[in-house]
Amino acid sequence: MRTREVIDCHTLVIGSGGAGVRAAIEADRYGETVLLSKSITGKGGCTTMAEGGFNAVLREGDTCSVHAEDTMRGGAYLNDPALVQALVADAPARLADLVSWGAVFDASADGEVAQRSFGGQSFPRTCYAGDRTGHEIMATLMERLRGSGVERIEETAAIDLLKDGERVCGALALNKKGEIFAIRADAVVLAAGGGARAYDVSTNSGTGTGDGFALGYRAGADLIDMEMVQFHPTGAVYPYDARGRLVTEAVRGEGGRLINTAGERFMAHYDAKRMELSTRDVVARAIATEVLEGRGTANGGVWLDVTHLPAETIEERLPVMLAQFLRFGVDIRKEPMEVAPTAHHIMGGLRITPEGQTSLPGLFACGETVGGVHGANRLGGNALADTQVFGKRAGEAAGRAPKRPAKIDPAQVEAQERRIAAFFEGTESPDSVKGCLQQAMWSGAGIRRDAAGLKRTLATVEELSAAPLRAATPRNLVECCGVQNLCTISTLICRSALLRPESRGAHWRTDVVQTWDARTSPFGHTHISRAGASIEEVRG
Amino acid sequence: MKTITFTIVRFDPESDRAPHAEEYSVDVHEGARVLHALHAVHARDPSLAYRWCCGSGQCGSCAVRVDGDPALACITEARNGMVIAPLDLPVVKDLEVDLAPYLGRLPAIVPGGCAGFPKKKEIEAIKPLRECIECMSCVSVCPALKVTDFAGPTAMRQELRLALDPRDAGDRVAEAVEKGLFCCTSCQKCWKVCPKEIRIPGKAIEKLREIANRQGLTLPRHAEVADLVRTTGRSVARTKETLLEQVPEVIEPYGKVRATVGFFVGCMYNGRLPETALDMLEVMRRNGIRVVIPHEQVCCGSPLIRTGQTTFLDHLKRRNIEAFRTRKIDTVMTMCAGCGSTLKHDYTTPFRVMDATEVLTAYGIEEPAKLHLTATYHDPCHLLRGQDVRDQPRELLKLVVDTFVETPNQCCGSGGGVRAGMPEEAAALGEMRGEAFEKSGADIVISCCPFCEFHISEHTKLPVKDLMTLLREGYEEKDRRKTSEP
Ligand SMILES: Cc1cc2nc3c(=O)[nH]c(=O)nc-3n(C[C@H](O)[C@H](O)[C@H](O)COP(=O)(O)OP(=O)(O)OC[C@H]3O[C@@H](n4cnc5c(N)ncnc54)[C@H](O)[C@@H]3O)c2cc1C
Ligand code: SF4
Ligand code: SF4
Ligand code: FES
Repeated sequence: MRTREVIDCHTLVIGSGGAGVRAAIEADRYGETVLLSKSITGKGGCTTMAEGGFNAVLREGDTCSVHAEDTMRGGAYLNDPALVQALVADAPARLADLVSWGAVFDASADGEVAQRSFGGQSFPRTCYAGDRTGHEIMATLMERLRGSGVERIEETAAIDLLKDGERVCGALALNKKGEIFAIRADAVVLAAGGGARAYDVSTNSGTGTGDGFALGYRAGADLIDMEMVQFHPTGAVYPYDARGRLVTEAVRGEGGRLINTAGERFMAHYDAKRMELSTRDVVARAIATEVLEGRGTANGGVWLDVTHLPAETIEERLPVMLAQFLRFGVDIRKEPMEVAPTAHHIMGGLRITPEGQTSLPGLFACGETVGGVHGANRLGGNALADTQVFGKRAGEAAGRAPKRPAKIDPAQVEAQERRIAAFFEGTESPDSVKGCLQQAMWSGAGIRRDAAGLKRTLATVEELSAAPLRAATPRNLVECCGVQNLCTISTLICRSALLRPESRGAHWRTDVVQTWDARTSPFGHTHISRAGASIEEVRG
Repeated sequence: MKTITFTIVRFDPESDRAPHAEEYSVDVHEGARVLHALHAVHARDPSLAYRWCCGSGQCGSCAVRVDGDPALACITEARNGMVIAPLDLPVVKDLEVDLAPYLGRLPAIVPGGCAGFPKKKEIEAIKPLRECIECMSCVSVCPALKVTDFAGPTAMRQELRLALDPRDAGDRVAEAVEKGLFCCTSCQKCWKVCPKEIRIPGKAIEKLREIANRQGLTLPRHAEVADLVRTTGRSVARTKETLLEQVPEVIEPYGKVRATVGFFVGCMYNGRLPETALDMLEVMRRNGIRVVIPHEQVCCGSPLIRTGQTTFLDHLKRRNIEAFRTRKIDTVMTMCAGCGSTLKHDYTTPFRVMDATEVLTAYGIEEPAKLHLTATYHDPCHLLRGQDVRDQPRELLKLVVDTFVETPNQCCGSGGGVRAGMPEEAAALGEMRGEAFEKSGADIVISCCPFCEFHISEHTKLPVKDLMTLLREGYEEKDRRKTSEP
């Protein structure tokens, strides 16, 4: 294993989802920018999969302060208020950028960008392009990127951040041939997306192996609230291989009913007022409870029924869902869908300033890789806005970073070369280690958590982390790194979850009795880094 | 769990001389997709290279060929016995192909058009063109791309998307012409394999050609054809006695009348190949089909629609529809694949339209004698994909020859105005077709389209005949055999 060459640039952006491409477009204005992507540029990640929409305050009657309050309430007041302010203040301008670059959002009758209602929001502020909003945003960004000077390195994964003392000064990258490159940069933007693939049942893209969290952690960055994993209440259950695939919230928005095997509309027992349209955490917990208490289907789900709606409504408003289920032999006009919760979004991540600066000099981050924006529970439509707001901010801050002479630490490069070479000597199949890990995380660090289960899971994860993974060919090296990263973030999730002795937002501890609610909680962020782990306690 | 056995075409250009097929048996769950079958193989043989990301049909990473045709691996159900091969593009390894050059051909927006959000009407026009997930399935099957430097179907989709957007400042139509707008043969293959069913030939290429027409960019040869239609009602000049000049308005069958159909003749059968049309009429007579042929019918307009010259189309449509409507005809039969497809898709007709092969298989035919021939069949694009007529001609052909052999399907290169406008491309595709037929082991090529027949015969040593001519020969042979019987 020899490191091939050194690529030199001003800004290196890692990840080509919505956040990464936005950051690269911005950074390109300040100097030579390289966009490194594990997938073909724009094809990996979750941005392109997003269906619902993008939240921005556009119309009279809505205000940024209301958007901020909705976001904080939805996030169980664990959000970083400065980040929320930045999110709501910039979202309209970032949406305008997309529009000026050619985005084809749906239009309202009055010729403006149309907006619809989404869960947990006091105003219809979610902009959309049918049920393929993320794809529209990615297509727009890719058109813009193609017209820019950004150099793209594709199907090549960042495997370690390079450091010059405390500063991050680039990254090592590994391509499909098993060749390692060093990329030296004055500033690095980490935008490698989320990591909900740590769970057996997940909505996420195959590239979502949590590389951003793992790279940041290994380089010494501070991560916050890693225990906060959003479980979307409605994921597909059948066929087995499609388990977890998102069944959009719009189904419930259109009037879909959740029914258990006893034929009850069970949300009445959990949130009689909002019923199916309660927040994601509440609905996910309700479904999990029904299944656990024996009122679930043989496949471990409940029914989501729209058969009471006119067939035309279903055809017109839910065409993608109709087609998706028909492909699997279920006609949702006539039969109910079978659904269960699915791991969807990691709210925690690298701690940043509103400018996207992480706790490490030279390292910026944006998108799902960062923590603090969404607190303990993300509102639908806020993540796409987040990619654009913080993508621009991080790209700009990185672009403005001063030029610095290169100094790559040979010891670090050699250590990585040895790590990669060792995979050829390994014995364990990465596919099977990943499978065990996902099962363990799903059953022990999923929706319902308690200390004993988390500790057991942590032990399993640590054991799996030590497995000597085997790369049969150079192409399998990136897979091995991905599985190691999944192990790393699983450890971070379990350790952080053990630190938080309360139920809050998506984090549900069944073994603690608490006397406070989100607003009066004595706890703040959890922090985890190579230096240690802790939870902020609010005194006074 | 169930066990499936299937084949993957594998190839490592760095170490293998040629691709080879390998068979695998794996356990998969009920309802598994091709992608999951590939995962199962990969778990056992990690050297298998294939791409995927979203697993839900949204990123366009995973397109492969399933039993010959492109499909998304993450969407298509895995079947026992399937054959998985890479797209017909340069292979990187196994199922991974090099997409970068094609992705690089997609034009980017040039800001500087009018600012602000487009009108609702403009948005609605652009939306269907935005669903592309850049999987390059369309590019991998496009015949024009194989012989020219055409930028490809999805690049044309993108050109129109930009042309329709007031925010874009580029000169898209001129650019599209430069990138090969007139290379498309309108073979319809691209959208048939498109996972998002984006009708690029009809909804993008023809629309761009229409704008090109308004900007004076129509090819001179295409403009000549339009002039001919305008002045004569026909797209080919009269060089000999036409069919309509030779036949009465009603042709009664020999025996009992089993059905009555109207016959839409089309310019090629009327002016160039009337003998073939007469063969068809003879076959109809023999099978109890009464044929009504209104003499005031004119060109269907296909040569105009395909080349974007649609200004006087409505006049042609009205005249043709009236010709049949006033005679109270409920079924109009076409014989030319192009006319049939045009009548079925570009017209709103008060009657149903059927290809002659559909008519014959629907009513059943008297068996002809089997000719001592090994025949292969060329699917006309506008019959196979334009009208979904695949089995009927094969059924009929098998009745009249000893042996039938398949030749893998591809466009012959004559459609979409390419034969007239891009003769070199048409010839190159014709040559490819000729070679394929000669390799098939057949001693005759049969088709059902005057354009294909005409074009292919210029590019193969084998005789090329229309199916109706062959059926007629089959009946004549039958009669001969009967009379020579003692
Ligand atoms: C099915 C689904 C539907 C959703 N719907 C919505 C919605 O309607 N509204 C909303 O606001 N949010 C939605 N979300 C959430 C939202 O899509 C994501 O949070 C957001 O898009 C994340 O963007 P990102 O740019 O941070 O990361 P991603 O888009 O995930 O991109 C990550 C990128 O990093 C690359 N990468 C990863 N590791 C490496 C590495 N080691 N080296 C180099 N590159 C690497 C990947 O290839 C990829 O290009 C949805 C999510 C899912 C899964
Ligand atoms: S219709 Fe045929 S020739 Fe035209 S772009 Fe599509 S595949 Fe290519
Ligand atoms: S047009 Fe269809 S087939 Fe072609 S790249 Fe786009 S999605 Fe794929
Ligand atoms: S994996 Fe994304 S389209 Fe199939």
